[in-house]
Amino acid sequence: MAVARVPVPEAVEAAPPRALSRWLGAAREFCRARTLGAVGAAVIVVMFAVALLAPVLAPYDPEAVDFAAMLTRPSLAHWLGTDSFGRDVLSRLIFGSRTALMVGFGSSVLGATLGAILGVGSAYFGGRVDLYLQRVMDVFLSFPLIVLALALVAILGNSIPNLIMAIMVPMIPRSALVIRSSALAIREMPFVDAARAAGFGHARIVLRHMLPNVMAPYLIMLTAFLGQAVLAEASLSFLGLGVQEPTAAWGLMLRGAAVEFAETAPWMAIFPGLAISLSVFAFNLFGDSLRDALDPRLRTQ
Amino acid sequence: MWKYLVKRFLLMFPTLLGVAVLTFVLIRVIPGDVVELRYAGDRGSVSQDVLDKERARFGLDQPLYKQFGRWVLGVARLDFGESMWTGAPIWEEIRLRFALSLQVAIMATAVAVVLAIPLGVLAALKQDTWIDYAVRIFSIAGLAMPSFWLGIVFILLLLVVFHWLPPMIYTPFWQNPWENMKQLIWPALAVGYRYSAVATRMTRSAMLEVLREDYIRTARAKGLVQRLILARHALKNAMLPVLTVVALEFAFLIGGLVVTEQVFNLNGLGLLFVQAVAHRDYTLIQALVMLVAGCFIVANFLMDVGYAWIDPRIRYR
Repeated sequence: MAVARVPVPEAVEAAPPRALSRWLGAAREFCRARTLGAVGAAVIVVMFAVALLAPVLAPYDPEAVDFAAMLTRPSLAHWLGTDSFGRDVLSRLIFGSRTALMVGFGSSVLGATLGAILGVGSAYFGGRVDLYLQRVMDVFLSFPLIVLALALVAILGNSIPNLIMAIMVPMIPRSALVIRSSALAIREMPFVDAARAAGFGHARIVLRHMLPNVMAPYLIMLTAFLGQAVLAEASLSFLGLGVQEPTAAWGLMLRGAAVEFAETAPWMAIFPGLAISLSVFAFNLFGDSLRDALDPRLRTQ
Repeated sequence: MWKYLVKRFLLMFPTLLGVAVLTFVLIRVIPGDVVELRYAGDRGSVSQDVLDKERARFGLDQPLYKQFGRWVLGVARLDFGESMWTGAPIWEEIRLRFALSLQVAIMATAVAVVLAIPLGVLAALKQDTWIDYAVRIFSIAGLAMPSFWLGIVFILLLLVVFHWLPPMIYTPFWQNPWENMKQLIWPALAVGYRYSAVATRMTRSAMLEVLREDYIRTARAKGLVQRLILARHALKNAMLPVLTVVALEFAFLIGGLVVTEQVFNLNGLGLLFVQAVAHRDYTLIQALVMLVAGCFIVANFLMDVGYAWIDPRIRYR
């Protein structure tokens, strides 16, 4: 069909000008007003640096077995001691941050994004589509996160990409639910009507016009998922269903020998747990402050 | 009210059916089945014929919809069948484990409520003071620490400080309450702390919201003492969202204790689920999932009904 295209008004399509400087300004404001959140963000940045520089920072090969140095207590040679295979605990912690960040970010970003698309789509189409999608989401929501992830790992097998998949799936309905309720309000906005009047397809309206407007709840869900994903990865690895030996992962380090030798070699049990707690703590601090900054109404959640 | 109740009640069934179908399909996608795993020990020495016969005994040779139909008919008569791995009736497999998980969940809830409500109220009353910050950090820390690690730390502390380990063998409560408590209090504390963190945050924000309401100002203006304002006006109204969170967490705890049970060597529903998945014990997995999801769906239903009963506006949504 050769219908003459109506010229698109600037405000409908164009990205806001000077986006970068606005982001920087917002970041500066965030650090000033939300000290706790900034502390969380700083810890996350440090974690990223550690993960990137792991080969440089780690004093030993994280997978190198040394039976001459089994279960040695923290010393100058091994700052945080060694495990039952004589592997350096500090080096394993440093390399473990890679696993935690990869799985944490991978599953949260995928889960929140897919959930956002479903949520916005569900709100945009409304009617039947909305009703059926909601019922399907209800079904997924009735499983505890860890139970669903466990079943998925059993199906997919346990490699890191599969682990990301397994943790991502339970997050989709949770993200969809929250984002759908924001999108319902946006659907009624005049600019959506304008886009429809301009003859844009459904996909374009959902992805380019509605999705950018649910950024606030999206970021809130995303940061809330980060901590949960790191915890879920640690839990699955602890159960032996996540990351496999000899790869360094924090949850895996707490498995087996760490409990067995808890009395004689407590460093094996304590430090990985501290690493998990500190990173989840940082994610939550940052997420909480971001939520307060972006949307005061959501504070009650 | 009745119309809403009936509608909300009927809505539970499609969800339950969805859970059943999803589980049914999911577990059959997992590679390997129970027959294959049972004879995995003597691979090769068992003929295909025997395997086929075993499969036929469980009805695994029939088309999926037939298997599902048979299972649904059983469930409608509250008959979940027998475990494919042990051959024992499902009800028998689950009963003791369910009692254990339920007890830990109830104890953890008690820990959570006892901690959360006073702390949350205190933080709200002293908003933006050091007390508020301390409570918030305490609760964010609770969300950050994996409860299985907290469990390990508890065991470690008991060992190092008191040279004592909690009993590793489960004693039912009615047999010996003291022995039972000595074992279960630790997982309840480890899980309860995390749970209390969720509830504390909810209490705090709900209280903050209620304290800003006009009727609180009215109560203050007419000279009501602080204690009565809190007890009669503020707390009562702030409790609704807190109860929601507590109820939902409770429903999730019954099946979600998987990892904590591992640490404390508790033979609860979570451990049973992990074993059932490892054995591909289809009937047991299905029953467990229905139980766990059912608890959650029913809790959700009861909460919606409670809400509608307390707040008539909700019925007209």
